[in-house]
Amino acid sequence: MGPTPRPTRGDIISIASTASVDPVRVEVRGLSKSFGQVQAVSDLGFTVEPGSVTGFLGPNGAGKTTTLRMLLGLMQPDAGTATFNGAPYTSLTDPLRTVGAVLETAFHPARSGRNHLRVYCRAAGLPLTRADEVLVQVGLADAGNRRAGGYSLGMRQRLALATALLGDPAVLVLDEPANGLDPEGIQWLRGFLRHMAHDQGRTVLVSSHLLSEVEQTVDRVVIVGAGRLVREGSMEQLRSGADGAGTVLVRSPEVARLADVLRAEGAHVTQEDGALTVSGSTPAEVGRRAFAAGVELHELRSHTSGLEEIYFQLTSGSEQFAAPSPTAQEATR
Amino acid sequence: MIRLVRAEWTKLFTTKVWLGLLLGSIVLVIGFAVLFTSFAGNAESGIPPVGSSLYEELALSTAANANILFLILGIIGMTQEYRHRTATPTFLTTPRRGRVVIAKLLAYAAASAVFALVVVAVNYVVVAIHAGARGAAPALNAENAAVLGRSALALVIYAVIGVGIGALLKNQVGAIVGGLVYLFVIEPVIRSIPATAGAYKWMPGGALEALTATFEGPELLAGWQGALLLVAYGLVFAFLGTVIAVRRDVV
Repeated sequence: MGPTPRPTRGDIISIASTASVDPVRVEVRGLSKSFGQVQAVSDLGFTVEPGSVTGFLGPNGAGKTTTLRMLLGLMQPDAGTATFNGAPYTSLTDPLRTVGAVLETAFHPARSGRNHLRVYCRAAGLPLTRADEVLVQVGLADAGNRRAGGYSLGMRQRLALATALLGDPAVLVLDEPANGLDPEGIQWLRGFLRHMAHDQGRTVLVSSHLLSEVEQTVDRVVIVGAGRLVREGSMEQLRSGADGAGTVLVRSPEVARLADVLRAEGAHVTQEDGALTVSGSTPAEVGRRAFAAGVELHELRSHTSGLEEIYFQLTSGSEQFAAPSPTAQEATR
Repeated sequence: MIRLVRAEWTKLFTTKVWLGLLLGSIVLVIGFAVLFTSFAGNAESGIPPVGSSLYEELALSTAANANILFLILGIIGMTQEYRHRTATPTFLTTPRRGRVVIAKLLAYAAASAVFALVVVAVNYVVVAIHAGARGAAPALNAENAAVLGRSALALVIYAVIGVGIGALLKNQVGAIVGGLVYLFVIEPVIRSIPATAGAYKWMPGGALEALTATFEGPELLAGWQGALLLVAYGLVFAFLGTVIAVRRDVV
């Protein structure tokens, strides 16, 4: 064996930058699956575009993992299709070269990380050197000869990612990949996924039950609740949904007069601690009216923290085992 | 298919399960061979004396007693995929799951053939030394070599049956416990009760005795029929396992 290259996380992107790949579009149409009485996924359809990172979001029990397992041929859907450039997973000739998946951290505890990877190199007809390459890529080169059973949670996640990368796939599917990663690891994963999608044109689908976890990573979102599609679109569209509600925060020494001015124009205003929250308006509109009325302003900004609230509104009440509440029933209609 | 078979060998030889079971088989065979030879010619044991051809057939067939360990080897080979959840990456790599089962059958048949040759070699050496010390070492003539070969074949077939049972049951502990209970409780009972003894020759244990050697046993099939029957058991289990269990959703 030659000397092991020193892995540093900075190297990862340069090593990964081999070439761009043929784009593969993932299409899910009318997917349904039930387990006994529980309808896990109902008539779910969405598209995952190459060259972008798509967040697959929903609360626990929304059917994310079931959907991904049907997408990857591990579960048989009751109805519907899931295809990669038109072909279902089970009819791909070289599945590892098309799709890499991180579903769960599944290893034989007594087998070393390197040998684990070599098993799938052999099965997929890949050169055994790929095992060492992906170990370096995920920063596990030094741990490759250790038993996987002794790995930390973060290292297991990295080994699962390494397994997904073996075939240099055009599509990456990751189920809750941030679980067990430390903040540094999450930061690294974000950069890695964006690089795979934006610079190399790969299709990246990453599931999470937390919007905040993937907010900085994803370009598009597919939001599911109770097995149904709730929202599909770009992050900009989701944000504009938040801003479209038009919540503006404004501070002024003459709060009361400003409130009167704005109310006279028909805006909905609430006053709190010397600040006003104006809904149904924009910062420009509020500023224009304040200027016209000669009111001094100390702060004027749009309330952008609404993204998480929007996500919560979209998915609230759709948990499989949520306690019944009037708002929940309203949200699921 | 050769890719998948090699992947199975990599799986097998990157943990130490095979080593434990092989050493266990060797210890077992040494124990049985020494025991048989020690009591050979003893009037109470009923074992024929050293030097007789019946003694040689029995003593050189003791390797077949490792069949339970070869069965466990096959069971673990299949069920570890479910126990350690590696069924997910395995079936992601090979979505046509029947191919995985076939690859395991081939890989375990080949690997256990090597292990079985080691076990019967140990069997012969131990018997040769011990019986030689007691006066008459068995020659490695065609007849005795055939006895050893049939034991080795039986061990290989039991490993194949183990893969088949593992595919059908998926649960490692359940399959091993079930296998032990069947071989050590159910079959001996069936064999000893006159009313059911007639069916014994059609069971895996009866087929094994037909293939290897029998000692004060009931009516059995011919040796080649026993071998075919054992292979059929292994393939039927593997086929049923593939159709019924392996195709099910991997949760």
